[in-house]
Amino acid sequence: MPSGRLKVPAPIVAVISWLVPGAGYLLLGQVARGLTIGITILLLFVAGLLIGGVHVVDPPTFIRGHNVFNALLQKPWYIGQFFSGAVGLISGWIGPSQPASHARVADIATLYTAVAGMLNLMAIIDCSYRASVAEDDGKGT
Amino acid sequence: MSGSLVNLIVAWTPFVQPIPGIWNYWPWLMVPLCAGVAIVWKSIKCHEMKRVPLEATVIFLTMIGGLVASAVGLWLLERMVVN
Repeated sequence: MPSGRLKVPAPIVAVISWLVPGAGYLLLGQVARGLTIGITILLLFVAGLLIGGVHVVDPPTFIRGHNVFNALLQKPWYIGQFFSGAVGLISGWIGPSQPASHARVADIATLYTAVAGMLNLMAIIDCSYRASVAEDDGKGT
Repeated sequence: MSGSLVNLIVAWTPFVQPIPGIWNYWPWLMVPLCAGVAIVWKSIKCHEMKRVPLEATVIFLTMIGGLVASAVGLWLLERMVVN
């Protein structure tokens, strides 16, 4: 990282990268990497919504007194979709009220959205690692 | 394109209903998914971004080749079991 660039703490980079895919890299000054990863992840997520409709993002219902883990296990694909950030949260808020798609279309659309989220999780881990390395380099010099 | 499919497309509400007619071509939907995975994976792994197009193409073709080989293998197995 060039000297003089703003040093951003790794947890903040991770949160920003989760909210907006690729934005963590932009904070670190890696514009090409951030745009490539962000646009690709968002395209995959939006393609999933187009293929199957927004109902494919269907968050589990958490009921007070019931086991949270069991609720998650009933709709495990939402774990992947959750990691796609703000777009996943908004889709999860809108989705359950929309008509559901079925069969292979719903499966493929769920796969697209969940894979987009899991790819964003990899990007979150990578850019927060890069941010922590940059912090350590800054301390060492 | 048949008239009924045209009617379906005209009546389609994006993001609410599935894309009309896409269910007939669902195996082809693996291609853009594999391309997306290859691009993001190699963008994370490559030290220099200029290496991404070549390396992502290689891993994309590897994934598609693996899927096709798996499909052919399973089809042959199914043929052997049925016959």
